[in-house]
Amino acid sequence: MTQAKAGLPAEDLSFGEALAELESIVASLEDGRLELEPSIAAYERGVGLLRACEAKLADAEQRVTVLMGELDADEDDAETS
Amino acid sequence: MAEARPEAVSVSRAMALAKGALERVSARVVGEVTELADKPGYKAVYFTLGDESANMPCLVWRDAYEASGVALRLGSLVEVGGSFTAYAPKGRLQFQVRTLAPAGEGVLRLQVAALARRLEAEGLMREDRKRPLPAFPRRVGLVTSPRGKAVHDVIRTLRRRYPCAEVVVAGVPVEGPGAVSSIVAGLRRMAEEPGVDVVILARGGGSYEDLMPFNAEEVARAVAAMPMPVVTGIGHEPDTSVADMVADLRASTPTAAAEAVAPSLDEVAARLAGARARLARALEHVAQRARHRVQLLATRPLFQEAAVLLAPFGLSLDSGRESLERSLPGMVSARRDRTLRARGAMLRLGGHITERRAGRLAPAAAQLEALSPLAVLGRGYALCTDETGARVLTDAGATTVGERVKVRLRRGALGCRVETTEVEA
Repeated sequence: MTQAKAGLPAEDLSFGEALAELESIVASLEDGRLELEPSIAAYERGVGLLRACEAKLADAEQRVTVLMGELDADEDDAETS
Repeated sequence: MAEARPEAVSVSRAMALAKGALERVSARVVGEVTELADKPGYKAVYFTLGDESANMPCLVWRDAYEASGVALRLGSLVEVGGSFTAYAPKGRLQFQVRTLAPAGEGVLRLQVAALARRLEAEGLMREDRKRPLPAFPRRVGLVTSPRGKAVHDVIRTLRRRYPCAEVVVAGVPVEGPGAVSSIVAGLRRMAEEPGVDVVILARGGGSYEDLMPFNAEEVARAVAAMPMPVVTGIGHEPDTSVADMVADLRASTPTAAAEAVAPSLDEVAARLAGARARLARALEHVAQRARHRVQLLATRPLFQEAAVLLAPFGLSLDSGRESLERSLPGMVSARRDRTLRARGAMLRLGGHITERRAGRLAPAAAQLEALSPLAVLGRGYALCTDETGARVLTDAGATTVGERVKVRLRRGALGCRVETTEVEA
């Protein structure tokens, strides 16, 4: 799944996809079979994915969607939509 | 006269006799609660058990009631153990309850166990049916009561651990009539919702009876049919519901289910930090390897001494020359003979001509010699020309710094580069 999405901008991936691709890039770099230029390209992609992951975590605000029923308000569950 | 008939007794005495007789009657009785008086401050809880044709007033001392763990409710079926007694002041018959348990539970448990066996035989509980949970869910489905603690426990836990995940709630009644079809409807709705990659089926604690909807075959089959993994968080330890058995993962409480579904933010942050360090290290290794390879190449003889590069060409030139030399001599000696003969003839002829001219040539040659600029060089002067030797330099201003010039001496020449120019005005 990450292979098919490897070309997408890091920001467009889900957190899990970005992390999975990041870890596969790390593994292929560590594997050491890439030439210098592809290594640098992989590194740059890796840094982009890393930033996207960190941004997703930093900006994450929980979304709650109610399909059925009506939720009781709970003082701890401020943001319900 | 009085010997045949028992003596009349007081009401108190009569009730005491009855009480004594009743208290010898112990029984275990199953019935439905038809009246209930559970008043704070009273030493006992009073209730009536009934069936289609009879009612039986009961009392249970508060200690025994609380120890039983049963919450009496109108309409619930209970099994009581104890003995009859009489309450003299009101002239009432009562059953004094010593043990109290939900009734029908045994029957229910048997039914549940039979269903569990049946579904197990169908393979719905096989380990290989249990799917792994997504490591990083994007949308977490939650099927539970919209009221009460469970829904908020799950939402709060997901927010604390992994706020990236959206929570999609199907709030459905999870007890009482209609609970089974509501839970099934909630699960089906969730199955159709795009992007939901794991579902939590939860409820808070309750009695065994309260748990019954989660033991229903319809709910169990709906759970088994879900296209994504289902985690149950049905707070009813130590009982395991049939829904728990067919779920992909069983957690003990709603909170535990949420914890099972979401990665912890700390773990995620640690993984990211690890990836960051490994990424930098890996690139450094790649760069080091590349540098090392370049260094290895740079120390190869090829780059140390250019002659090595040309050696193969030199060799083939040499062999070409050799074969040329081998083929030449015959040709050369033949021509040489002819040339020598021609030269002899020419000398004989030419001798006459040159002798005549020599007398005139010699003084002209001496004159020429004196005029030649080359003769001046013999006296220590030098001749400066451009690099090709075609143009004699006469003006420092006509050269530029860095230009190559040629300096001819009496014997040989120097290749020079102009360092400075001094132009005379």
